Amino acid sequence: MLVKDVMHGPVISVGPEWTLEDAYKLLLERGIRHLPVVADGRLVGIITDRDIRLATSHLNPQGPCPGCTQVGDVMTKDVITSHPLDPVEEAARVMRERKIGSLPVLEDGRLVGIVTGIDLLDALLKLTGVTEPSGRLEVRLPDRVGELARLTGFLAGRGVNIHSLLSYPEDGDRVRAVVRVNTLETHLLAEGLRQEGFDVLWPPKKPW
Amino acid sequence: MVIYREEYRLYDLGPHHPFSPVRLEMLTSLLKALGVWQEPLAPPEATREEVLSVHSERLVRRVEAASRGEKVSDLEHYGLGTGDTPVFPGMDQAARVLVGGTLEGARRILAGEKRVLQLGGGLHHAQYDRASGFCVYNDLSVAIRRLTRAGLRVAYLDIDVHHGDGVQWLHYEEKEVLTLSLHESGRYLFPGTGHVHEIGKGGGAGRKLNLPLEPFTEDESYLEVFEALVPWALAAFRPDVLVVQAGADAHFLDPLADLLLTTRAYERLFRLVLQYAEAYAGGRVLFTLGGGYSLDAAVRVWALLYHVFHGLSLPERLPEGWRSAWEARLGKPLTPTLHDPRAPYPEIPRKPEIEKRNRLTLQRLTELVGPHLLH
Repeated sequence: MLVKDVMHGPVISVGPEWTLEDAYKLLLERGIRHLPVVADGRLVGIITDRDIRLATSHLNPQGPCPGCTQVGDVMTKDVITSHPLDPVEEAARVMRERKIGSLPVLEDGRLVGIVTGIDLLDALLKLTGVTEPSGRLEVRLPDRVGELARLTGFLAGRGVNIHSLLSYPEDGDRVRAVVRVNTLETHLLAEGLRQEGFDVLWPPKKPW
Repeated sequence: MVIYREEYRLYDLGPHHPFSPVRLEMLTSLLKALGVWQEPLAPPEATREEVLSVHSERLVRRVEAASRGEKVSDLEHYGLGTGDTPVFPGMDQAARVLVGGTLEGARRILAGEKRVLQLGGGLHHAQYDRASGFCVYNDLSVAIRRLTRAGLRVAYLDIDVHHGDGVQWLHYEEKEVLTLSLHESGRYLFPGTGHVHEIGKGGGAGRKLNLPLEPFTEDESYLEVFEALVPWALAAFRPDVLVVQAGADAHFLDPLADLLLTTRAYERLFRLVLQYAEAYAGGRVLFTLGGGYSLDAAVRVWALLYHVFHGLSLPERLPEGWRSAWEARLGKPLTPTLHDPRAPYPEIPRKPEIEKRNRLTLQRLTELVGPHLLH
């Protein structure tokens, strides 16, 4: 999954000469939180609803003046950006490490999109969510060559289609695989997997 | 009034398939052995046009072709020819026979009948454009559509352990249909949907209710949330008729799912549903069967339904002759009494946590749909 698959464009942006008041109105109207700032077709900064609220707070030593302060005075100038072909996980890592809420997406210096935390949550939902009627299997695998293939091979042998497969490392050289399969009969699959020596975490074995 | 015909058993997905016609054979033979069987009404099969009242032409065309044994390249795209819903010769007609029974129930209700028990059907996973989860055609939705087209407001109650997704999606934007599904959480179990936040769209907003329950939910907790939710929703919606999918797979013996109801909970549920029908739906109620894959449990649950439906007193033990004949045929022991024995499974260590989570889910659901339902 790449940034271009989750980003939004065309981007709603403002110029540095806009007043904070106008920029804030635009944020409210469009129901967004981040505004890239563009001058002469180039990205020169980014301003968020939080920047505007802080700049116009009564606690601001200069006193608030939303109608006379310009976006260019308040915006963040060294913008961290992304590229459409960056992997989504890289965008997520940058946003997490820099503690920022969005990344403008540039291609050949042109602003082509924006990725926000909400887009990354959508990506997570797509990766983990239910898009087809399906049941869930959870299997703990040894972290070594061929184990996942053994699991998917078993499912293929049973004529079961895999709708989604998620795996993540656990402590102690093990990998958790969460598989959504197109069947009601996950208990039967679990039983077959256990007979083949798999450590099936869900569905559980019933003691009666 | 009871609706049934032998041809229901033609809906046969194969010798090892859990949705087995043996369930009906066992149930009717038990009711006969108990001496309570009355000649049921034999319904006509549903027509192609009636099926098309809820399904797409392209799905029906594929079911018909597969039924005749023709090769169809994109069957799987329509949920057919899969391990769960394999094709078999004559499946179109077999499915239409089941639809016909539930549809006949709707017609009888419209003709003034109060209580109808359809001893089959309940194929709640079938969708507009797709067969799914053992279900080819959605008999429930065909019947519901017949009722709403006659101007009735329909409340659909689904106690199958799986989410009633097909019925929910088919009526998702309809104002005159309330769907109410209690099921094991889709976090783990098929079909994966049925979250509290699926509440309907457009005119149907707030009229599609889902109560996903924790795996290993027991009688007490199930009844607690059922008794809090169902009368509340019915009182607010004021239906003209109640359609009930009475799947028996929330039973603790069911091999496909993880809820732990006993026959005692089912007896209470069936009595409550009849009370609710009287109190909120003019006494009009149409029951169908549904899932239920432990032969031992499903047959006893539906025998209970038959007795409660007719107001018969409950037998304690099942006829010895019937039991020994079926034990010989199935090669395994059967519970000798109508009800389960007391404390039939070991204590569940997480019980208080499960109860708490179910209460929280109920609270979230009522907060979400309350503003829509109560106006």
